[in-house]
Amino acid sequence: MTRLEKVFNQKETKNKVLVTYTVAGDPNLGSSKKILNDLIASGADILEIGVPFSDPMSEGPVIQKAHERALKKNIQFKDILNLCKQIRIKNKNVPIVLMGYMNSFLSLKNKLAKELNQAGVDGVIVVDLPYDESKSFFNNLKKENIDLIRLISPTTDSKRLKRMLASSSGYLYYVSLKGITGAELKNFNEVKNKVKKIKSLTNLPVVVGFGIKDAPTAKKMASFSDGIVVGTKIIDFIEKKSTPKISNFTKSLKKAIN
Amino acid sequence: MKYKNLNNYAFPDKEGRFGEFGGKYVSETLITALEELEKVYAKVKKDKSFQEEVIKDLNDFVGRPSPLYFAERWTKKLGGAKIYLKREDLNHTGAHKINNTVGQVLLAKKMGKKRVIAETGAGQHGVATATVAARHGLECIIFMGEEDIERQALNVYRMKLLGAEVCSVDSGTKTLKDAMNEAMRDWVTNVEDTHYIIGSVAGPHPYPEIVRDFNSIVGKELKIQSKKEFGKYPDIIVACVGGGSNAMGIFHPFIKETKTKLVGVEAGGSGVKSGKHAAPLSDGKVGVLHGMKTYLMQDKNGQILSTHSVSAGLDYPGVGPEHAYLRDIGRVEYQSATDQQALKSFHDLTKTEGIMPALETSHALAYVNKIAPKLSKSKTIVINLSGRGDKDMFTVAKEDGMTL
Repeated sequence: MTRLEKVFNQKETKNKVLVTYTVAGDPNLGSSKKILNDLIASGADILEIGVPFSDPMSEGPVIQKAHERALKKNIQFKDILNLCKQIRIKNKNVPIVLMGYMNSFLSLKNKLAKELNQAGVDGVIVVDLPYDESKSFFNNLKKENIDLIRLISPTTDSKRLKRMLASSSGYLYYVSLKGITGAELKNFNEVKNKVKKIKSLTNLPVVVGFGIKDAPTAKKMASFSDGIVVGTKIIDFIEKKSTPKISNFTKSLKKAIN
Repeated sequence: MKYKNLNNYAFPDKEGRFGEFGGKYVSETLITALEELEKVYAKVKKDKSFQEEVIKDLNDFVGRPSPLYFAERWTKKLGGAKIYLKREDLNHTGAHKINNTVGQVLLAKKMGKKRVIAETGAGQHGVATATVAARHGLECIIFMGEEDIERQALNVYRMKLLGAEVCSVDSGTKTLKDAMNEAMRDWVTNVEDTHYIIGSVAGPHPYPEIVRDFNSIVGKELKIQSKKEFGKYPDIIVACVGGGSNAMGIFHPFIKETKTKLVGVEAGGSGVKSGKHAAPLSDGKVGVLHGMKTYLMQDKNGQILSTHSVSAGLDYPGVGPEHAYLRDIGRVEYQSATDQQALKSFHDLTKTEGIMPALETSHALAYVNKIAPKLSKSKTIVINLSGRGDKDMFTVAKEDGMTL
């Protein structure tokens, strides 16, 4: 059983999964490592680690700035892999998922899957790699047991969804809104209906992300899904230089969803 | 790789690719919109009444066909091949960009979209989009890098006069690529009522095809005009390449006419060797940006490098995927011209022919300045004079050490 499967298998205990997103190297590598370990200690079940990119097209202003801060520190892909290794040394169980843009992953060429595996990475989310373009990428990752986590959006229709599900693994990431990260989440019922629809078509766990900024929203979203993703709000703390507040915030989310 | 037979050249393929280039590398949310666009476009491509509507606007609103002009004095001065200019600078709004926006705005209306957005570098595409939006009464938002807003103040004011909202983009390098990122962010948020009018043969499929098709009126006219003017197709066609829309527009109808040499000229900035340039076909690597796989200026980690060019319209780290393909198969030759060479040619053409070219276009002129003297007088070169230089007055003055 993979680390991701184990985390979601706790479903029997009805525990919802808390996924956190931070950017590798924001505000610098040392702090980044400390933040990730704190997140684990305060209840994060899966770490999504952003790969900083010069052109983060799907990000709102808060996460864009996080990418810029990390790049100012000249974070290289090998630094990110090292960071993952260091987390993995301390913690054998927490799944690590790298989230980024296609051009970053392409830079490792055919070594990518192997390097990810060696660094203890469990899955990859590529924001600008839709299902249609992902066949060979998916197959390459699979060789090293790395899951390619699919993003599903409000505009994904059922026909397309069924095709996507045929080559999905790990979990599914439902993007709760049409927009960028950190945007305003308006329609709960729409999200609920869509997640129900997805769950009726697959046994894969579905987590909901984009626009979840507080415990009450997290609670609502978790009530019909397998877990939630929080990114912008955590990074907001980093931007405001109040990283000590991250732990309490994470604990409050964890409490709210379970 | 060298092309063998281009008789069956028919790209993009069903996956939206030109060989390995192109594709649809966008977030899941945009896929539906791209598929809709693809469907509608395939339909209108065959729809006679739609095509007639486009042609009518090109004739009566844009002022086509644009003349093919013999640059007699410049030819004499260089003393070699005969030089002709395809006068896209005479189009309404002053550049080839309007050919595309006239078509895309009709597409937007066909899809029932009430709002159009666009990115712009030099401001020509922004003006061309704001113009057609005004003509059709659509809401219009233009995204423009902060740095470009500064160097293209005149075009910014033009867009505002036309009723468009100009959004200043201060992320990243504050130029064209960042404006495109921001336009993508807007599109993903407002995808239901908004059509994104991409201004170059770049971006995800089907944009490279759509923008090429609407601009190919330039090459189609040239086929007729060159036969009439000098009894054959040109020996060489030269165009500047940023994203590559004016070049693709004039090249595409000639791809199968292999006796005609096609040359694209990239922005060499301070020189390709200096690293300070915007010439991904001369000095870039294959990667993915803005929805397409193509040649990009990037570092070993895949970070997109900041570019440098005196012309805002060429200041882009990528290039349309069809250009990438045509480069690889050797059908089009890609060269570069430096800022200084472009500026010199800007002055030369202005003084010799009384035609003030855009700084983008001046890169194509600089290349011709170099090769024309070496060619026999029986040869003909056609340059796509893609835009006029009025917008560049402040930049040129600054380069010349003048204050206006």
